[in-house]
Amino acid sequence: MLKIIFGDIDNSIYHPPTYFDNQYEDEWITDPLSIEMIRDIDKSEVISAHLIDSPILGPISPKEISGGVKTLMLMAFDESGKIFNASSCGDNCAKWIVEIGRRKDLTINLHHVLDFSSAGEFDAWMLNTGKMIHGYREYLEEALRIKER
Amino acid sequence: MKGKYHVMVQNNRIRYEFDIKRNITIIRGDSATGKTTLYSMIALAARLGDSSGIEVRCEKKCRTLDDLDWKLILPALHDHIIFLDEDNLFIKTTEFSRMVRESDNYFVIITREDLANLPYSVEEIYGIHAAGKYHGTKRIYNEFYHIYSFMDFPETVKPDEVIVEDSNSGYDFFHSVCDEHHIACKSAGGKSKIKDALQISNQGNVLVIADGASIGSEMNELFQYMKLHPDTKCYLPESFEWIILKSGLIDGNEVQEILSHPQDFIDSQDYFSWERFFTTLLIQYTQDTYLHYSKHRLNEVYLHDRSKMMILKVMEKIVLGD
Repeated sequence: MLKIIFGDIDNSIYHPPTYFDNQYEDEWITDPLSIEMIRDIDKSEVISAHLIDSPILGPISPKEISGGVKTLMLMAFDESGKIFNASSCGDNCAKWIVEIGRRKDLTINLHHVLDFSSAGEFDAWMLNTGKMIHGYREYLEEALRIKER
Repeated sequence: MKGKYHVMVQNNRIRYEFDIKRNITIIRGDSATGKTTLYSMIALAARLGDSSGIEVRCEKKCRTLDDLDWKLILPALHDHIIFLDEDNLFIKTTEFSRMVRESDNYFVIITREDLANLPYSVEEIYGIHAAGKYHGTKRIYNEFYHIYSFMDFPETVKPDEVIVEDSNSGYDFFHSVCDEHHIACKSAGGKSKIKDALQISNQGNVLVIADGASIGSEMNELFQYMKLHPDTKCYLPESFEWIILKSGLIDGNEVQEILSHPQDFIDSQDYFSWERFFTTLLIQYTQDTYLHYSKHRLNEVYLHDRSKMMILKVMEKIVLGD
């Protein structure tokens, strides 16, 4: 289940890409989910746990992948109980947040209204108001009512 | 600082080119478009110079600013273009907003957050996209694009209801025009309340009129609202005063010359955002004339038929009435 909370909260990592650089595990990089996310968002191919082939930057390390994908990988694999700031993710990450939320209980923190319009059908629990939303229209209506950012 | 500056940043693999022309520019957009790479390249070039292997070409010095010592560094910087990345929590603070207001630097901020404390223009919110390879080399050429590029309406807009951002002279004008044509018109009472006004509106085609020069912090949410409500449109001129200046009501070529490249006349240290400059300009040019302008209450001269027609003519493709 995907849970969304807007505004400043305890136990949140404000800049997940930095946290990722210092906490990621090699096996996260070669997980099939990561391979797909890196391919879709960064247009890059995972060669090994230590090497990614980027069409723009050439051969890069996992520390050079996009901040959005780093945040998604933390959401998918980190087990510290931290809540990650999904405002580090572009709108092109929204469908992957929904996908990770289907696989596990996922709480994300937002400091802006992420555009989930391309994420397909999804349900989420809006923790600021306690309301369950179904789909993008209900999400946006509820998000606009919430004042916390 | 005033003026428009071309910035070119490149290494062997990637090249960015863009123009900066206001005190605040925002970069946002999808992940993996090269925002952080641009920031890192500017940071490295500022720190290591030629040794970085990164070339930065700009008439003004470009540099970055960090969380750790920004309060000490910023007051000492003058005439710089300063780049800030999204990991800097201080960009949301009122203290940073105050320092930007007093600063003679331009700021380029990479963030998806709205930053309600900063009055930035809808025109200065950009994404980055790859425009191809540079002259057949392996170097990828990146440029900025407007994220919210819907200022020009493809078809005529004929609203059933008008929501005006402010409650001053601009509202007086539009309320009077709408009244004549039996169009509902209300004031949102400020840019942050436009969304609330929209949510209690059920009037078919709704037109929002707001100051484009400072509406930036509302754009992400307004844009998404409009995607779900295609009958809602936004008309975002710089400001109501800009429309009057543009209309030609004020004689002389000088005003039109200023409007054609305002960045060369607006000092960022004097004007936090451009709409304040246009208000000052209009007041100055109409002082002691029959067109005497006040921000708080509309001079009725602007509602006379000739004035009204000239002002409305500036609003291309918008029909208020029959």
